[in-house]
Amino acid sequence: MNLLEDIPELIKANVISEETAEKIKEYYKSKGSQSQQKIVIVFSVLGAILVGLGIILIIAHNWDNFSTSLKTVLAFLPLLIGQILCGYTLYKKSSNIAWKESCSAFLFFGVGASISLISQIYNLSGELSSFLLLWLFLCLPIIYIMQSSVASLLYITLSTYYLGEACYWHYPNSESYYYWLLLLLILPHYYHLYKHKAHSNFTTFHHWLIPLSIVFSLGSIANHHDRFMYLPYATLFGLFYIIGNSHYFKTKKSSNNGYFILGSLGTSYILISLSFDDYWERLRNNSYVFSEVMSSPEMISALLLFIISAISFWKHKQHVAHKEFNLSSIVFILFPFIFLIGLYTKIPTVLINLLIMAIGILNIRKGAKTDHLGILNYGLLMISTLVICRFFDTDMSYVIRGILFVSVGIGFFLANFLMLKKRKENGK
Amino acid sequence: MANKKLLLSIFCIVAAIQLFVPAKMIFDSEDVIQTGKEFKFKTEPVDPNDPFRGKYITLRFEQNKIRQLIDTTWKEYEIVYVILTHDSAGYAKIESISHFEPENTDDYVKCKVNYYDHYNENYVYLEYPFEKYYMEESKAPKAEITYRESARDTAQNTYALVNVKQGDAVLRDVLINDVSIKTIVKQQQEKENN
Repeated sequence: MNLLEDIPELIKANVISEETAEKIKEYYKSKGSQSQQKIVIVFSVLGAILVGLGIILIIAHNWDNFSTSLKTVLAFLPLLIGQILCGYTLYKKSSNIAWKESCSAFLFFGVGASISLISQIYNLSGELSSFLLLWLFLCLPIIYIMQSSVASLLYITLSTYYLGEACYWHYPNSESYYYWLLLLLILPHYYHLYKHKAHSNFTTFHHWLIPLSIVFSLGSIANHHDRFMYLPYATLFGLFYIIGNSHYFKTKKSSNNGYFILGSLGTSYILISLSFDDYWERLRNNSYVFSEVMSSPEMISALLLFIISAISFWKHKQHVAHKEFNLSSIVFILFPFIFLIGLYTKIPTVLINLLIMAIGILNIRKGAKTDHLGILNYGLLMISTLVICRFFDTDMSYVIRGILFVSVGIGFFLANFLMLKKRKENGK
Repeated sequence: MANKKLLLSIFCIVAAIQLFVPAKMIFDSEDVIQTGKEFKFKTEPVDPNDPFRGKYITLRFEQNKIRQLIDTTWKEYEIVYVILTHDSAGYAKIESISHFEPENTDDYVKCKVNYYDHYNENYVYLEYPFEKYYMEESKAPKAEITYRESARDTAQNTYALVNVKQGDAVLRDVLINDVSIKTIVKQQQEKENN
C-alpha cells in the first residue's frame, strides 16, 4: 500500500484532516530525501575508495618509461588533488557528509600512493610495517579535521593490517605497542560518534570493526607464556559481553551489536576449547616461576583487562535489575580462580563443563521466557557442542553416549516445537 | 567562522607535513646519490612482490658476512654500521663492522644483523637496507630469468650500483656485464615481440 497515493481517498472519507495529510506528506518528503542522501554518501565514498585503490595499483605497475623527475611529480599528484579537494570541502562544503567522506577517503589513499611511489623510485626497501606506520600517522589528522568516519574505518583496518605485518606474518616479529597507540589515538573520534551519532551506520561499523581489530591484535602480546593467553582473551570477551549488554547497546539489534556477538561467541569458544583435559594436563605438567609468569605481558594484559572489566561490570550492575544477570557476564571473574586451581588439580575440566551446561540451560530458559528462538537455540547449541566434544574424549559407554545424543536431539525439536506452538496460540 | 578558520589553518599545517614527508624522502635520497660514494655489490636477484609498492627483485649480496674473532657480542636483528671499501677488482668489500656510528669516514651503511654464527667460523651475516630493486610489473619475473641464465655463465657478472653516505644508501641500478637489467629485459621483450 502506498500511503501517499491513498491520501486523497482518506481525506474524502474523512479519515484524516487536510492538516494531517500535509504533515504525512512532509514526513515522507524528508524521509525520502534522507535515504537519497544516504545513497549519495555510499556511492561517493565507494567511488573515492575505488579511485584511490586504483591509483595505488597503477603506481604499483612501476612505469619504466617515465623519467625519475616525471615519476616524482606524479607521486605528489594524488596527494595534492586529495588535499585540494579536502581544503575545498572544509571551506565550501563543510556540512556535506558525502563530500567530506569521499574527499577524506581519496586523501587517505593519496598519502599512501605518494610515499609508495617515492619508495619505488629510490628503491627504499624498508619494512612494509614501517611504511604502513608512516602512512597511518600522516593520515590520522584527516579523521579529526574532516570529521570523517570513512577515514577512521580505513585507519582501523590499516592499523590491524600493520599489526599483522609487524607481529604475525613475518619473522622476526617486532613489538606491537604502536598498534595500541594507534588505537588509543582513534578513541576520541569513536567517543564522538558514540555520543553524537549513535544511530549512524558509520557508528555501527565502528562497533564491529574496533572489537574485531582488538580480538585479532590481542594475540600479538603473547611472549614466552602463550599458554596463559586464554586469560586475557577470556577477560576481553567478558568485557565485550558487558559492553554489549549495556544500556546503550541493549536497544540495538544483535546485528548492530558487535560487542555482544563477539563477547558471546568468544566466551563460548574459550569455554568449549578448555573443556578438554589436554590443555590443563599440559598446564599442570609444566613448572612455572611465579614472578616470571606474573610479570609476563600475558598476565599484565590480563590484569589490566580484568580491572577494566570489573569496573564496567560494577557500573553495569548498578543500572540493571539483579535478576537480569547472565552467567556469561561473570565468566571472566570465575576464570582466574579456575586457572589457579588448574595449575594443581584436574577439577577445572569438571568446572568448565558444568559452566557450559549452566550457560546453555540459562540461555534456553531465557529464550523460552522472552520468546526468542535465537537465544533458545544458542543455549541448545552450547549443550550439543559440549556433548559432541565429550563424545571424543570420555570413556563413557557407547549406549550412554548414544542416549545423550538422542536426548539432546529430541530437546532441540521439542523446545523449538513448543515455542512455535506457544507463539501460534498467542497469535490467536 | 573562527572555528572554520582554525580548522583550515590546522588542515594547512597537516597538508604541509604530508607533503614534507615524501619531499624529505626525495631530498635525502638525492643527497646520497649526488654526494655519496658509489659501490658495486656483487649480487644475485630473485622475484617476489609487495602489495602496495609493486613488483621488485630481491638481491642477495656476496659481501653479506664478515668474520669476527675478537668481538662476539653480536645479536640477531641489532642495528650495526658496515664500513665499506673497494677490492682490487673495484667491487664493494666490507672493511669492518661496528656497534657504533663511525666518525672518521662517510663510507658506511646502517644494516641489521641477520644472524651471528658463533658455532662455526664466527661469521656475522648482514641484511642491507637496499635489497629490493623495484621494477615494472612485467619485467620483474623476466629479470629473474635473465639473471638465472647469466648465472650459468661464470664469465657474466651481476652487481648492484649503490651510493652510500653516512649510513644511508640508495640502490641506483642492477647491472649484468655493465648493462642495466632494465635495458636487458626491454631488449628481450622487443625481441620476443618481433
